[in-house]
Amino acid sequence: MTGALAVYRRELLALWVTPLAWVLLVVFLLLEGGIFYAIVVHFATLPEPSVDSGPLQAFFGQESVLLLITLMLLCPALTMRSFAEERRSGTIETLLTAPVSPSAVVAGKYLALLTTFAIMWAPTLLYVLILGKSGDLDAGTVLSCYLGLLGVGATYLAIGTLMSAMTRSQLVALLLTVFVVFGLFVLGIGEYLLEDGWLRDVSAYLSMGSQMDDFSRGIVDSRRVVLDVTLVACCLFLCTRVVESWSAE
Amino acid sequence: MIEAEHLAKDYGTVLAVDDVSFSVGTGEVVGFLGPNGAGKSTTLRMLAGFLAPTRGRVLLHGFDMQQQPLRARERLGYMPEASPLYPELKVREYLGFRAALKRVPRSKRTAAVGAAMERARVSDVADTLILHLSKGYRQRVGLADALVASPPLLILDEPTAGLDPNQIREVRELVRELGRDHTILLSTHILSEVEAVCGRALVIDRGKLVAEGSIEALLSRGRAGSLRAVVNDPEGRAEAVARAVPGVKELRFAGTPSARDLELEIELMPGRDAGDAAQALTKAWVEAGVAVRALSPAKASLEQVFSALTEPSA
Repeated sequence: MTGALAVYRRELLALWVTPLAWVLLVVFLLLEGGIFYAIVVHFATLPEPSVDSGPLQAFFGQESVLLLITLMLLCPALTMRSFAEERRSGTIETLLTAPVSPSAVVAGKYLALLTTFAIMWAPTLLYVLILGKSGDLDAGTVLSCYLGLLGVGATYLAIGTLMSAMTRSQLVALLLTVFVVFGLFVLGIGEYLLEDGWLRDVSAYLSMGSQMDDFSRGIVDSRRVVLDVTLVACCLFLCTRVVESWSAE
Repeated sequence: MIEAEHLAKDYGTVLAVDDVSFSVGTGEVVGFLGPNGAGKSTTLRMLAGFLAPTRGRVLLHGFDMQQQPLRARERLGYMPEASPLYPELKVREYLGFRAALKRVPRSKRTAAVGAAMERARVSDVADTLILHLSKGYRQRVGLADALVASPPLLILDEPTAGLDPNQIREVRELVRELGRDHTILLSTHILSEVEAVCGRALVIDRGKLVAEGSIEALLSRGRAGSLRAVVNDPEGRAEAVARAVPGVKELRFAGTPSARDLELEIELMPGRDAGDAAQALTKAWVEAGVAVRALSPAKASLEQVFSALTEPSA
């Protein structure tokens, strides 16, 4: 446990003392700010706002994949260094010869990424504050919006961590992660394209877009939560096995 | 402290380490010698648990590295080749992280980091980014990392590789100092290093252990059968007389230390005792009127032993 904590703290430090997290944060906030502005302007021109649709919902998902696209770029960029850099530079050798288990290393790294992800979203609470000043906001909906965001982010980060363990190159890790999360997104689109049947059901179940959509309306569907938790657990388990397998190379 | 039993590492295309067995006892400072690519790093990585052996097993402090990896590593300070570090951290931050990782209790971490920096002589760069450190400092930060949890056992992979002569001397001093209260296994391809700091050496070549023993024993394996003599020989009889002594195989002029003296190198027949031969030689020369000014067994250098053991033709 102390091992995982030590890894967690070092990862956080490494993420925030290097320019990467800050550059991502700036790009990300500019992008989100722009999207938020566009959405607010759009809703301000609407004559009759409906009950379950508003700027917050639009921002977090409803009928808009802007946020999902940001996540598909942000998460892979955050995770690409994780293991790839340690293996390229050789520091993985000092890490894995310390009295710490591979699962603790994976857990520490992943939780540090998740924390960084959460920190990056913290400034968007300002948007919520701004919206709350000028209109009514349901606290439950706000909470479910952020829960949905955390679920999708956690999934993408777990995929990214696994991909980072697959290669020594950060670039390859980035591309692999983008490929997988984009693949997942495309699978989700099937919900709107396919005819009724089991394939469409699978698509709907796996759709991260629909997840954001549901959560942004304040619908917390346990199936979505189960999916996220399952994907995260699978990726981290596989990642641990990959780390263990390096000793047999 | 270290037990290596029939270690083998098969990389598929190469058998990097082939059935290597040895042990290192408490308090020993052992040199692990071999040419580049002989399998030194692979062996040390197996000892530290970074690589799993294809066959055989490793015991550290009696714990099997495969069965109980965390227990086995708990009291080990391992410094990998080239000492990889995180460039974005400061030395103090890095060592604090390593101390936490090695389960140094929180209350003792600051003191442990301070003591390790003191011993490895990196206190003056405690708040410098590792990125900005010279190679010598990085190497010593790696040593400080190995020391931070005060493990009784150190495994150091080429601690002086890539350093300049002054830095090599410093690291060597440090290793010698550490040897007083640690068990150390260090690899190197620099022989003077082993002679300077180690009591015993293991020689590995092409994945196989080719020799093992104290430095003296290894040296005597080399060319024990040769003598070096300085004679005063105005009548020029020394050579002919020496050749007639039983056991003398070859004789060479090695120089003229002074105007009157002559230095000779005498190679003996294999299996001849150097002491007996020296005695017979002295007697023969004295009887022939050759003044013997010095006579000693020629000491083979570790370099010669090393090349004799590891050269393909040998």
